[in-house]
Amino acid sequence: MAEEIRKETAREKDVEIMLDNVGMVYKTTDGKDVTALTGVSFDIHKGEFISLLGPSGCGKTTLLRIIADLITPTSGNVLIGGETPRQARLKKRYAMVFQSAVLYDWRTVRKNVMLPLEIMKVPKKERIERADKMLKLVGLSDFADHYPRQLSGGMQQRVGIARALAIRPEILLMDEPFSALDEFTREKLHDDLLRIWRKTNKTVIFVTHNIQESVFLSDRVCVLSPHPGRLSAVVDIDLPRPRTMDIKDTPEFTALVAKVRNSFEGV
Amino acid sequence: MTKLKRILASKTTVTLVWVVGVMAIWEVFAFIVAATKRTPINVLPHVWQIVESFFSDKAVTGKMTMAQLIATSCGETLSRAAIGFLIGTVLGYLLALLMNMSGIVEKIAFPYLMIIQMIPILGMAPIILAITGDIDSSRMVIAAILTFYPVSTNTLAGFKAVEKEKHELMYSYAATGFQRYIKTYIPFSIPYFFTGLKISAPMAITASILVDTLQGGNGLGCMLSQSLKGGMTRLVFWDIVVISAIIGILSYYLMGLIEKLICPYKRRGQEVIL
Repeated sequence: MAEEIRKETAREKDVEIMLDNVGMVYKTTDGKDVTALTGVSFDIHKGEFISLLGPSGCGKTTLLRIIADLITPTSGNVLIGGETPRQARLKKRYAMVFQSAVLYDWRTVRKNVMLPLEIMKVPKKERIERADKMLKLVGLSDFADHYPRQLSGGMQQRVGIARALAIRPEILLMDEPFSALDEFTREKLHDDLLRIWRKTNKTVIFVTHNIQESVFLSDRVCVLSPHPGRLSAVVDIDLPRPRTMDIKDTPEFTALVAKVRNSFEGV
Repeated sequence: MTKLKRILASKTTVTLVWVVGVMAIWEVFAFIVAATKRTPINVLPHVWQIVESFFSDKAVTGKMTMAQLIATSCGETLSRAAIGFLIGTVLGYLLALLMNMSGIVEKIAFPYLMIIQMIPILGMAPIILAITGDIDSSRMVIAAILTFYPVSTNTLAGFKAVEKEKHELMYSYAATGFQRYIKTYIPFSIPYFFTGLKISAPMAITASILVDTLQGGNGLGCMLSQSLKGGMTRLVFWDIVVISAIIGILSYYLMGLIEKLICPYKRRGQEVIL
């Protein structure tokens, strides 16, 4: 009953993802329970940019994998647009971007972007059109016929983003996508990601362990603390948009970074 | 690097040094043998004698010259090796697919695959001959058995080497089992598959020649043993040794060439040199 009411209010507020008391307990080989995540509840709105921020072991990736239906939570409920993660996955409501670009090195850049469309049996002509459109969006039109190994790390990650966007998902799940890149490339990709996000209106869930990154990108930062993994704060980032690099030098930005840092518990 | 160093380190230079080095050592021993033995040609002839005999138009057996004899024998041996190699490749690949699809098949088959590899091939030949009752088919079967193992294990290793993220990607696209194989497993494992082929192609040829010697008929191995038994000049033996070594190496490079033809992504940019 209570859930029905929550669902109702959820629809009104345009909630895209609803997490209700989500927990994850692993069993180790010697039969002990390890709590990776406990009691996570919050709502993510349509078109929102959310960061899951925390040190390793806080369960941020576990949470993302639960939303992505890669693992099933041992307690609690997840609803994506009113559906289970499995239904959402089968309907391709979300797309994933991994820490490494996970490109297929035997496929050209364009064919990498076309891969999910082939699996979805999109007609060939449309596949090419959509792939080229996405490559234009991430600024890689000139490299469509190159192979991944010919590209830099930042460019490879952009191909990964283009591939994720090609299936026209409502939600983009990003698992530390820029953590393997150097600082300069990362800042460039932050700009690009915000521009793409503004253009496409996706809901973005962005896992990171970088405080500055999370503050710069997000509407809200979900701070997760370890042992056991739990949500210890949700910090609203009310910096104006569109944001540029300069914002990082403002006192408001610094204050928010401090606020986020102080919301960690027991690190 | 200086220019000289670059030239010295290049692949061609290394190959050249090897060829010249082997020939030089060969010749040194050939001269020693020529000075000390009564029939030096039985022990170690000069390189030029081998080359000369190959191009000479003197008949070595019946009406055939050396080049003709070797060409026809090569054709016979190689075609048997090729058929055996193809059969072994297809079966090895199919078994790798089955082992990857089913853990049970893998558990049953994998440990015993190695046993096939450990049985001495010549020990197996008479048994296979007894089963097939035909020396030509036994030659193919043995080439197939030797091909089977490297192809199967290397391809399976390729399937297993697919990264976790690629599986998760396929899962998030809700790809079917068939799509996973067509889009991920099979293209990913091609370089591994070719590693298997590169190992087994020369082996199939060697096996085919070896099994030739077991019984009469035709083929490189038969001519080789006839030459050793004194049926024709000893130089036939030496020519066949050299030619089969060259063919073995060429078969390896042929596999590499085919790999590059089907894998254009391996051709460009900074290559990983095998």
